[in-house]
Amino acid sequence: MMPCLRRVELYMRVVTGSPEETENTGYRIGNLLKAYATRTVLLYGDLGAGKTTLIKGIALAFGIPKRDIGSASFVIVAEYDTIPRFYHIDLYRVETEEDMEALGIWEYMDSGGVAVIEWAERLSEMPEGAVTVRINYQDENSREIIIEGAIGDRL
Amino acid sequence: MKDSNELPVTSNESKNNKESEDLPLVTRHSLLILGIDTSCDDTSASVVADGEKILSNIVSSQSDIHKKYGGIVPELASRRHIEMIWPVVEEALAAAGLSLHDMQAIAVCHGPGLIGSLLVGCGFAKAAGYARNIPTIAVNHLEGHIFSTFLESKRPGFPFLSLIVSGGHTSLYMINGFGQYDELGRTRDDAAGEAYDKVSKLLGLGYPGGPVIDRLSGEGDPKAFDFPRAYIPESFDFSFSGLKTAVKLTIEKNPRFTGDQSSLRDIAASFQSAVVDVLVRKVEWAIIKKGIRRVVLSGGVSANSELRRRMREMADEREVELFLPSTELCTDNAAMIAAAGYYHFIAGDIAGLDLNPKAYLPLR
Repeated sequence: MMPCLRRVELYMRVVTGSPEETENTGYRIGNLLKAYATRTVLLYGDLGAGKTTLIKGIALAFGIPKRDIGSASFVIVAEYDTIPRFYHIDLYRVETEEDMEALGIWEYMDSGGVAVIEWAERLSEMPEGAVTVRINYQDENSREIIIEGAIGDRL
Repeated sequence: MKDSNELPVTSNESKNNKESEDLPLVTRHSLLILGIDTSCDDTSASVVADGEKILSNIVSSQSDIHKKYGGIVPELASRRHIEMIWPVVEEALAAAGLSLHDMQAIAVCHGPGLIGSLLVGCGFAKAAGYARNIPTIAVNHLEGHIFSTFLESKRPGFPFLSLIVSGGHTSLYMINGFGQYDELGRTRDDAAGEAYDKVSKLLGLGYPGGPVIDRLSGEGDPKAFDFPRAYIPESFDFSFSGLKTAVKLTIEKNPRFTGDQSSLRDIAASFQSAVVDVLVRKVEWAIIKKGIRRVVLSGGVSANSELRRRMREMADEREVELFLPSTELCTDNAAMIAAAGYYHFIAGDIAGLDLNPKAYLPLR
């Protein structure tokens, strides 16, 4: 592989004190994705951890109003006509490898659009060049958010 | 979409009422529409006459057809829709005693929903329409839910307030006429039905969560647990994510609850009461704020017994008319797509072959 000038090993840990701060952290993650042309976010966090709140922030960085982001558990893939395209993917209901294939999850990741994937632990293998975001419940308002991954152009 | 306050339904209604005594169900004057819905897990097809009379309404999960295919209820895989779409359409036409030639239009749901599933319905509708020279009509799934009430004998006049509450949606609309929809609020996170499903899973009660929690609630104490109600002041928006989290934390703190029937019943009743409180309060507030006299409920959660009871109570108290569609029309079905499609058709709103479904499709 050729060396890449804009490749960054990223590790950030943020503790937020309110849903607004969690959303702001999402917005910063969204801007990082744009700056480093990174297309995939693997999001880990239990029910009620604040994944939807975080994604509202990420999506805002791509010009999607907060109001337009809700839970994607039902539709599994919510697609937005932004440039690049934005896919909010929620694997909560996806239980089998067969369903994963039928839904074309891997095609979304290879499409050139931005894919933010909730319940990423359901993926059978991990895509390359993705940012991993873990969100942990601390108390009613506080969340620990850990962002890591090697991001940047792959040449 | 064209504005159309002039609904020819009244004339149809009176005509049909007169004829229904001694004439067959379908007259040669009936405008027949084939409806198709593949927005989520079920494949559904229906034939509706004049936007109001259901001649057939087949939903794959309730039908015998799927037994032929190994007894699998179609779930997430869009290829199951591909297997089901023809048999379901054929059964809908056969049950109506008609063929595709008799249809004046094919109405299809083009979103919101699962994109792979929507593609099957839209592809089928466009291909069948093109082959038989029948126009295709694109219907928003939410619009279908709103107009499901027009398939009942008692129909609301405009304007009316429409609460759509299901596994995928929780939205409150002001319906001023056909094609004139004003969104007052929607959920900022989870849909109400989704909260039911997720809580049901947490309690180990399985999927879907609505019916089982409703049943358990009847025997539980709704005041046993003080779960949060997100009323969100000065907004008609909803939020059920915090409620779901509160139930989760309660169970985590007291793991023995999940094995104890009486605790399960109390949690179910307290959860259900929190959901219903918010839904009823928001609708009541909209009645006061907008001075509206008619309320329509639709979507799968509107089959919930407690929601129906409390909504009726509130409607009686406020002296507003309440329209509750029957259970078959509350849940996803293609008759509602055909019903809404009828109004598009008479407004001249026909879709082209470039019709593409959308997973995210706000109703405008």
